[in-house]
Amino acid sequence: MPDPPRITLLVDGVEVEAPHGAMLVDAAKHGDVEIPVFCYEPKLGHPVGACRMCVVEIEGIPKLQTACSTPVRDGMVVYTQTERVKEAQSAVVEFLLVNHPLDCPVCDKGGECPLQDVAMGWGPGRSRSVDPKRHFQKPIPLSPLIKIDRERCILCYRCVRFSQEVAEDEQLQLLERGSSTFVGTFDNRPYIAPFHGNIIELCPVGALTSDAYRFRARPWDIEDAGTVCTLCPSQCNIKLTVRDERIERVLARDNVDVDDGWLCDKGRFGYQMAESGQRITEPLIRAGGELRPAGWAEALEAAAAGLREAGERTAAIVGGSSSNEDGYLAQRIVRKALGSPHVESRPSGGPGVESRRTGGRGPAGFLRQGLVELSAPRLAASVSDLDRAESILVLGTDPLHSMPILDLRIRKAVRLRGARLAVATDRPSVLDGGAEETARYAPGFVGGFVSALAAELGAAGYERARGELGADAERIAGALKPGSTVIVWAGPDARGLVGCARALRLEEDGAGLIEVPEGANGRGLREVGCLPVAGPGLSDVEQGLDASGIRDALEAGSLEAALLVNADPIRDFAGGPAWGEALGKAKLVLAVSMFEDASTRQADVVFPAESYAEKEGTVTHPDGRLQRLRPGTPHPGGVRPMWEVLAELGALLGEETGVESAPDALAAIASEVPFYAGISHEEIGGTGIRWQERAAARYWPRVDDVGARDEVPGREVEPAGRTAPEPGDTGGRAEDVDGVIRVGTYRDLWAAEVTDRSPALRFLAPRQALELAPRDAARLGLGSGHEVEVRSNGTSVRARVSIHERVKPGSGFLIEGLGDRAASLRGELVEISKAGEPE
Amino acid sequence: MNNSADSSSEAEVSSEFPYLEDESVVAVQRGPEPGGLGGAYRAFGETLRGLKTTFARIVEGPVTIQYPEEKTPVYPRFRGRHKLHRFEDTGLEKCVGCSLCAAACPADCIRVVAAENDPEDRVSAGERYAEIYEINLARCIFCGYCEVACPFDAITMGHEYEIADYNRDDLIFTKEMLLAEPLERTPLRREGE
Amino acid sequence: MPETRMLYRRVDEPGLASIETYRRRGGYRSLTRTVKEIEPEELLTTLQDSGLRGRGGAGFSMGKKASFLPRGDTDKFLCCNADESEPGAFKDRELMQKNPHQLIEGVAIAAIAAGAGWAFIFIRGEYAEVADILEGAVAEAYGAGFLGADILGSGQRVELVVHRGAGAYICGEETALLDSLEGKRGNPRLKPPFPAIQGLYGGPTLINNVETLSNVPHIVANGADWFKGFGTEQSPGTKVVSVSGCVQRPGNYEIELGIPSRELIYGLAGGPPEGREVKAWFPGGSSAPVLTAAELDLPYSFEALADAGSMLGSGSIIVADDQVSIPALALRTARFYHHESCGKCTPCREGTNWTVKMLERVLSREATPMDLDIIASVQDNIIGHCLCVLGDSMAMPVSSMVKKFRPEFEEYIRRVASDSPGLGSDGAAGLHALTGTSSLAPASGPHA
Repeated sequence: MPDPPRITLLVDGVEVEAPHGAMLVDAAKHGDVEIPVFCYEPKLGHPVGACRMCVVEIEGIPKLQTACSTPVRDGMVVYTQTERVKEAQSAVVEFLLVNHPLDCPVCDKGGECPLQDVAMGWGPGRSRSVDPKRHFQKPIPLSPLIKIDRERCILCYRCVRFSQEVAEDEQLQLLERGSSTFVGTFDNRPYIAPFHGNIIELCPVGALTSDAYRFRARPWDIEDAGTVCTLCPSQCNIKLTVRDERIERVLARDNVDVDDGWLCDKGRFGYQMAESGQRITEPLIRAGGELRPAGWAEALEAAAAGLREAGERTAAIVGGSSSNEDGYLAQRIVRKALGSPHVESRPSGGPGVESRRTGGRGPAGFLRQGLVELSAPRLAASVSDLDRAESILVLGTDPLHSMPILDLRIRKAVRLRGARLAVATDRPSVLDGGAEETARYAPGFVGGFVSALAAELGAAGYERARGELGADAERIAGALKPGSTVIVWAGPDARGLVGCARALRLEEDGAGLIEVPEGANGRGLREVGCLPVAGPGLSDVEQGLDASGIRDALEAGSLEAALLVNADPIRDFAGGPAWGEALGKAKLVLAVSMFEDASTRQADVVFPAESYAEKEGTVTHPDGRLQRLRPGTPHPGGVRPMWEVLAELGALLGEETGVESAPDALAAIASEVPFYAGISHEEIGGTGIRWQERAAARYWPRVDDVGARDEVPGREVEPAGRTAPEPGDTGGRAEDVDGVIRVGTYRDLWAAEVTDRSPALRFLAPRQALELAPRDAARLGLGSGHEVEVRSNGTSVRARVSIHERVKPGSGFLIEGLGDRAASLRGELVEISKAGEPE
Repeated sequence: MNNSADSSSEAEVSSEFPYLEDESVVAVQRGPEPGGLGGAYRAFGETLRGLKTTFARIVEGPVTIQYPEEKTPVYPRFRGRHKLHRFEDTGLEKCVGCSLCAAACPADCIRVVAAENDPEDRVSAGERYAEIYEINLARCIFCGYCEVACPFDAITMGHEYEIADYNRDDLIFTKEMLLAEPLERTPLRREGE
Repeated sequence: MPETRMLYRRVDEPGLASIETYRRRGGYRSLTRTVKEIEPEELLTTLQDSGLRGRGGAGFSMGKKASFLPRGDTDKFLCCNADESEPGAFKDRELMQKNPHQLIEGVAIAAIAAGAGWAFIFIRGEYAEVADILEGAVAEAYGAGFLGADILGSGQRVELVVHRGAGAYICGEETALLDSLEGKRGNPRLKPPFPAIQGLYGGPTLINNVETLSNVPHIVANGADWFKGFGTEQSPGTKVVSVSGCVQRPGNYEIELGIPSRELIYGLAGGPPEGREVKAWFPGGSSAPVLTAAELDLPYSFEALADAGSMLGSGSIIVADDQVSIPALALRTARFYHHESCGKCTPCREGTNWTVKMLERVLSREATPMDLDIIASVQDNIIGHCLCVLGDSMAMPVSSMVKKFRPEFEEYIRRVASDSPGLGSDGAAGLHALTGTSSLAPASGPHA
């Protein structure tokens, strides 16, 4: 997007150059002039001009104007320091303080309060008001995480605007009017929404305070530590508030190319996991059936001995929160020191992972080809491209659950620019409301849908689908604008996307693909070699087993050792409890984990893991942005940096990595991943850098190098499940079979370890629920809240029925990641039987 | 050495001195010869004058203060050991744990960790109280900024100055110590000791 | 000087509210002509030439406003502001109650002139009876083909909806009216963008007052020059003035602008009751700065009143005679605006609140003359600094009262402070007559 032309204006007699159309408040900053504001916050969209704090004098306009809502023009002459302006601004401060309790010593905002700052800088210094102030009951919970003190509120509208215009949950409202106005929710219901923590940061006074941070520290007691949140693929930039070596809160660190300055509540309150006091803080070794603490030397030796023995019968599972360095070193140990090709980082696969029918050994040629094609720099869209694209397609994922901050970004594009949004998912998405077109396909049928879409878009080699599927694909295709579309997608089987990308000319500027990986650093791990089909830099390597293959092989005994780096497959991977049996059979399970969990219970050696607040390293954002993790707190107890531990383990196994520091580890990655070549911590800096924008991006493997061994695009594709529907079938036929539903699964935002480990978030932990369409529920004689058992091929899951209008008849949805076997049912036809009455 | 001897009233000039006799030697007038009445007066007169003052003070009684049994009074604005205060009527602590004293402290010797009051069992009057309030008196420079910064007059500098201790750790005063009356820390002789 | 009746012609004729009577008296002829004979551009020119100024308070040229709407195919809207809530104003009520079809015809013609396919009459919620009449009239007009997708077979389309407000004064502010109409909280919007560019549902919107639109059929029927024959050069036409308060014959009077105010108050409305004198009068509703008896000879026109530091506003005169206590009047005025402030912008929300508290102290026994300075200064801090004009609407009259009647305020403070029976009780009697309410004084004040 071209930068707007720059214009010159005169602020207080000083020439200031600013971009045309900028608001005067922002433009004045170019001339080092600060105009005080309360209600103005560019992140919230259009200015409202409510607080009247920013009034200035503009030559030629008799009335004072609000600088927050006045776009600058060339030659504008502005005065911010005249008597008239000063009087007006000091009057506004005086007005605001007429009803403000001035309880700064007790207030949590004290010391970092814009009202304090503005009152000091622009206020009259004393109040002439002697009348009683308004009173409210205070403080009362606005939500389980936020307390509201309405007496302190200056009614700047920021929180309400956030709720209504950014998160669009519409829960916060202004009630009553005039000087009795207050912020609240309908009927005083708790404000529960996934992004609501942002209003704490938005509040310019201490009216909205975080329950978890309440009275914990003053600004002069704390240190800020900037890092990146690795609780989900959004990788939002954050600032840890550290006091006495403990994290006390998490704030957003604005990075417009990543998060727009927002955080989800998981990122904001999930820090408590690191401070929960239940951490494993020293290495553990199993002796006599019990895990007992051991020194590092002993534990490393025990791990090395076990791995040496297993040799190439070792597999590594690298969890999504691992840094690039952790993943790189883990795969290097397994591949080079042990000679095993079995490295996996994707709980349920990624592009091109085949169904289990092939025993995990899918057509790997395609797999790499698919990866190389779909992740190619020319097709990559950046997050900011969502701010420019004329149309957006959300395919096979609900960003709210998989990459929450993208949800806000997409809403912003639709609300502020009128971008056309199309949503094609199996499960109803929260973005449906703002979408121009929505399509529902049967669970697991994303591949069929994408192929049909490619055909509708006119891609060569694809056949147009018949019936409902064809009609849906046509509608979605109609909403997409070639050359200016961003596709946000996820799913294991999206070969047709190559065709879609070609037809939509996604290689053009401002268009492209953003894949939402399953793990927080899914993309980075993939690129540093944590894949069974590709080594560092997606290089061609001997092919290994994918996750389910590894599990089967462990169970069958053909694999003997498992290295679990920040991974709890029993909770997070398809198969769930089946992993428990598989790990139980392994001779050595080496787990790197922060907590005792289901997988460490099967482990023989446990290394304590770092939390993201302690880690030093890099991660790669789904749009290719490398970002730095910087340690904000010291390692507790005997916890050591993981790159150091893995480097030592490698050395014990005879693989000298030469890695002696975190920058060394990155240098080692850069030397093996061609398209990361030469990258360093300094270059990544505070806001990260997209590798696609570096010269080294030209070393991305070429498609013809990969060698398309099989796979003809356009062939009808099957869902990942065991029961493949007929070609052209949308899966909708299941509804005709009595009591049978095709089940899809999704990873709920809160179905994560962090929810259970953070006291503040615990109340959000979901219970297994089976979402059904009203028609199916009626057919099955089920009502909301009924306990049911969902069964298929000997796998059964208990769930509570929840009826949703927008679920496609014939589909049902379960939550993954709750420790049951729900993920194994993905894409299956299931039987449902009642297991209990509603509570 | 030579110089100072030279500049004193000694008139004899050593031949070793590298000065020319006629130019550098200054004649100094000598005092009267000792002996006689004048000599006696000169010998004892000044002593007696001094003794007059001494004897005159004897009748005034002793001025020595028997520290530590007795203490020198301090000026009202003397800045001694800090005190935390309670409200006299309710017994609640005046301190709300706002940390302004910690912010004002140039020696960085105050640490405050605040917490939320339980309405059933209040510690202070507001929503907030100091769960931990510590002053490291080994670091404190007794500047009194904390007192000035306090918006509730919860902390004042007292008149206590006997703070010495054997252990630096014991100089970290906790909230309980600061709220209590100062301990008598200097051992006193008992009657007859 | 007698009234000049144009809008109020035959207003008391029984049955004028029905379409038969209205048509019998020549109604809907202008609309018929409009759709059959006049091009919209010509219509716009006529309206601009007529010099018709908005009757809602601001006095902006109606034709000019209509011409600001972008031409072309976008969805455009017309809103008739019938949220007549200003204390002292009741002219629109009578117009709608007795002659609803005149308004409907005006709305239809204006909508056609502006190219708006949808028109709304946003009527004050408390005018329930009037809204019923209006709705009946709209149904009649639809039935007779004067409204709808195809007016009189001409292919022109005007859909008209009567929307009842929910009882907020602020919704009479045009942008708050739009928000309220959209189903949102009725808060004023930031201007620019002005409604003519981006109004209802983001589309260009023309907003006019009932009286303004009621003038339109007459202009179309008789031409701009005929219209300019009435009134003054700058404000042609007639103006309905609601006169209330301490006068013997309160009511609506349609006059030509420019007649002496004394004529209006003493001549038409009969002046204050026998033996009393006019002490203060609001020339344009309760939001206009008050004028004193000395200013009774001002011509009643937009310009003359503006020169005198007040305004014609909606054309509602409230007269206070010598029995009225000005401090109590100030408090009553301030309380109204405090109650009606929407709370969006700081000066209005906090300023009205603070002013009321201070005036309450004046009326009880706690104020000092210094408080009068603070009251005056607070009003100065409100005026011109708000998002919409509601804050000014309180600040201007209160400020003018404190400035023009300061001795009375001071005497009030002194007398109350010296514990005398106070002049509040007799003042209150006048105010009862004035505002028709009984909740005049603070609960703790001497009136309680």
